[in-house]
Amino acid sequence: MSLLHLTNLTVRRGECPVVDDVSLTVKAGEFVGLLGPNGAGKTTLLRACLGLIPHEGKSNLSALPARTRARAVAFLPQGREIAWPVAVGELVALAGRGQGATDRAMARMGLAAYRDRSATALSGGEQARVLIARALAQDTPLLLADEPAAGLDPEAQIRTCKVFQDLASEGRGVVASLHDLGLAARHCTRLVLMARGRLVADGPPREVLSETNLAEVFGVRGFHAETPLGPVFQPMDVIR
Amino acid sequence: MRRGIWPLLIALVAVLFMASLLIGPAGLGLGQSLRALIQGQGEAVVLVMREIRLPRALLGLGVGAALGLSGAAMQGFLRNPLAEPGLIGVSSTAALGAVLSLQTGLAATFALALPLAALAGAALSVLLIMLMAGPRGGALALILAGIAISALAGAATSLVLNLSPNPFAAMEIVFWMMGSLADRSMTHVWLAFPFIAIGSALLLSTGRGLDALTLGEDVAQSMGLNLVRLRWMIVLGTAFVIGASVAVAGAVGFVGLVVPHLLRPVVGARPSRLLPASALGGAAMVLAADIAVRVVAPDQDLKLGVLTALVGAPFFLHLIWRMRRVEA
Repeated sequence: MSLLHLTNLTVRRGECPVVDDVSLTVKAGEFVGLLGPNGAGKTTLLRACLGLIPHEGKSNLSALPARTRARAVAFLPQGREIAWPVAVGELVALAGRGQGATDRAMARMGLAAYRDRSATALSGGEQARVLIARALAQDTPLLLADEPAAGLDPEAQIRTCKVFQDLASEGRGVVASLHDLGLAARHCTRLVLMARGRLVADGPPREVLSETNLAEVFGVRGFHAETPLGPVFQPMDVIR
Repeated sequence: MRRGIWPLLIALVAVLFMASLLIGPAGLGLGQSLRALIQGQGEAVVLVMREIRLPRALLGLGVGAALGLSGAAMQGFLRNPLAEPGLIGVSSTAALGAVLSLQTGLAATFALALPLAALAGAALSVLLIMLMAGPRGGALALILAGIAISALAGAATSLVLNLSPNPFAAMEIVFWMMGSLADRSMTHVWLAFPFIAIGSALLLSTGRGLDALTLGEDVAQSMGLNLVRLRWMIVLGTAFVIGASVAVAGAVGFVGLVVPHLLRPVVGARPSRLLPASALGGAAMVLAADIAVRVVAPDQDLKLGVLTALVGAPFFLHLIWRMRRVEA
């Protein structure tokens, strides 16, 4: 079943396309890593999918009425905003899908002990976990996450990716933009590579993180290895 | 603390409302006042209670609730603790309408001329905001448009004062602008309350949306919030309650800014809880201030707006001081 379906999606800023003719389908059971250097158009693509910014082409989500869409997809934006010192438990519950969903999401992100703490008094990484939990608590078939691992400690990074893997294996879909290529290689079922607004590669991690793609898109080289803990990819050096 | 705050606030407002009814230069006894108010016994006392003190207390309640509620709504919507209801220009255009009616002599023609002119001014600011910030413009466009409208209305008000034919006319305008609840009648109550009621209903219904906005506009929209609709409810609700408040009480500053600040930590910071709490808190603050102007200087006609600013501004400085320490 396809959860996200984009056809020729284009977003312009002035004359210049920031997202250029992107077609993409994400099915249930996939954890898609959205990769690309800064300015490649990952954030714009995710926001356009939801209809948060005007776009040309089609997204199956952007045309939905707001309430229906909220049941189909959850969104975790890059900017982490918590305006008021609300208790963590209440913040996660804003997702509006009941206490059960809230409790499960908080347990998944290791936040059970944080329930009554004021969200703004937490560290940046802890706040990020709270916001991920809020998105999980929406209990939707699809999750779009913009740099969910940024600013997290290694434990929280891996935990987050594992939670996303679990969601995928439960039959949901996850699309997450990631800068950590190693994390993406290890956990994602599929990688999509963007450069200058276009999709330049799409496939299994080992294929997308090829020597040519890495050189052309990121300007780096690195190495792949198989270890007892799974496949590893490590970027090593700048080419240009 | 959180659960206990509701009965506490309600009791505080009730006590202050009663005090506002019972305190005044006429020096009436408690039983005598209440008998006059409820049963209509004793002619002069009935007049004092029903025609002078009751409208004054009711307006203190309504205007205070309007200021507190719209302040909390505006802060929640803009996610900024420094926001206040005057930010979208409603207060200044309503004041301009009132000032024009005083200047042209329209205010003297019939009792409701001044408040109606103030309401027309508030309506004008909503039209201008709609034109300038557009139906889909963001919070920034709203703030900038509000600042521009406020500046324009302020300049026009100054111009009226500047061109005022005699010092007494200017004095009347200046005194009116200080804000007061003295010498208001039940007519003022009947004029203001429908607008305050409609505006309050609009603002109170934004609670869930404002809760969602705590996480930013993108997240709120992804959770199903219609941002454009919410924005118009806030603008219209604020215009109704603030337009009506300025129309009957003049400019009463700092209540909309300070009350949400004070109550935010007490209710756990959630906008949906802060809205009704601030309405109660605003009512308490204005009732208390209006009692204070009668008690502190009974012969001086101390203006309500002067007192709220005198108390509010130092408090505001204290908040900035504390914020500075936290940020440093």
